Amino acid sequence: MMNAAGAGSPQHGVDVRPVSKHSEKSEAYVPGQPDMWAFVLFESFLFTGYFLVYMVCRTQSPELFLRSQAELDLRIGTFNTLVLLTSSWTMARCVKAAREGSFPSASTNAFLTMLFGFVFLVSKVSEWAQEIRKGFGFSSNEFFSFYYFLTAIHFLHLLIGFVVLGVVVHQLSSPARRSQELIETGATYWHTIDFLWVIIFSLLYVMR
Amino acid sequence: MIGSVAEPEPEARAGSLLRRIVWHWCHDPKRELWFAWWMMVVFYNLYGLLFFVVARVQPPPDPGWDVPTVVQWFTDHHLGVLSGFAIIFLVTGFIVPTNALLAYSMRRMSVSRAFAYSYLIIYSLAAVPGMLLTCIALTVGSIRPDRDPALIHWLYDFAFMAFDGTMGVFLIGSLVWMAAVLLDENRVFPKWFGYLNLCNALTEVVVAPAWIFKRGAFAWDGEIAWWINMVVFVIYTIVFISLLRRMIEREDFGTGPLPNLPTDDADAEARDPSGSMAMAR
Repeated sequence: MMNAAGAGSPQHGVDVRPVSKHSEKSEAYVPGQPDMWAFVLFESFLFTGYFLVYMVCRTQSPELFLRSQAELDLRIGTFNTLVLLTSSWTMARCVKAAREGSFPSASTNAFLTMLFGFVFLVSKVSEWAQEIRKGFGFSSNEFFSFYYFLTAIHFLHLLIGFVVLGVVVHQLSSPARRSQELIETGATYWHTIDFLWVIIFSLLYVMR
Repeated sequence: MIGSVAEPEPEARAGSLLRRIVWHWCHDPKRELWFAWWMMVVFYNLYGLLFFVVARVQPPPDPGWDVPTVVQWFTDHHLGVLSGFAIIFLVTGFIVPTNALLAYSMRRMSVSRAFAYSYLIIYSLAAVPGMLLTCIALTVGSIRPDRDPALIHWLYDFAFMAFDGTMGVFLIGSLVWMAAVLLDENRVFPKWFGYLNLCNALTEVVVAPAWIFKRGAFAWDGEIAWWINMVVFVIYTIVFISLLRRMIEREDFGTGPLPNLPTDDADAEARDPSGSMAMAR
């Protein structure tokens, strides 16, 4: 996904930035590759478009949306959100540990992030299975079309997130790599997934 | 070592437009690249003009229409479809230099040639379901209005489902380009373009529900399956055409990192070695 050549020292592709350097240029500092922030911005615009379409459709059939929303299990949605927020917390701990040069701890936190991501995936698939067993499929009604669409496109982002976490773990696994910029780039992607889920959760499960 | 792009010969910048074109045609070492780039620009402009203005088949019509409405639609669009797609059939060949240039950009990268070749094959095949099948089906429907209306309706569904429902090929193509850009060490494209490829690839997935829905946001004319996708596609196309132009300008026919273009300031200083520019600053 992300190669070391685009980051850090041009000679070795490794950017082991000491903490003091961060504080020196803290005002101008952007975590990770600025290119990834362009991705975050673009994805935010894209999802804003999806959310706006959802809101417009919702205003056209408020009763149908409310009735269908009641079929979702708020406890599962809350559990999903907590799991993903925890994964973001472990990812933040991974970045912090890497900045301090504590690479074993950073690796542990990266693996924990993967674990929480995996729990989210399993929980989401079991929720889909539960809704399908209840007779609510992708084309059952407009609300469930949006429910499956938004959760599935987010699911796809999460799957790509595992590739990104793989790059982070690969960076942390050898002293010859350990590009702080790539680790932070991976974290930026992961937090974006989390940020998008919080909005999806609010729209599908909470908003009445 | 990263150098700078060599200054063009004085003849390249002097004289009338015709004289400059002739010079470039005879002497410019990048003429094949520029030829491919201009073919790309002409093709995408014609594509937009012919589909949206002449044939008026985009934005797509309603997928939920009944048979008489569809037959009427073919009657109303008879002339536009025939004249627009006649030109499309003529200019389809422009895709060849276009794809060649895209593959060239990957050959110029530090990555394996497998990226360029797989992209070339995918995008050469993608024109068939992504464009030609639609054009053929709509042309047949327009040119044979005396056929059974049920068959005309079938051609209508076939044309628009082929156009919107086969984006999987483009999805894989975008992912190949993304991987190549992110792995490249020759700085042919900025990394953000790699991530933009990912955005584009993910929007190709979103079109898939068009196979299922006849109305709403996910139908082939829906806000999500068509409108948002089209906005992303237009932005993506403008970006990659601009970046390819910049790549050609930077091309030094070497094998290492692509040199940067000289900045305006450096250019001015090169023309004014006495240092008066520096004084002015």
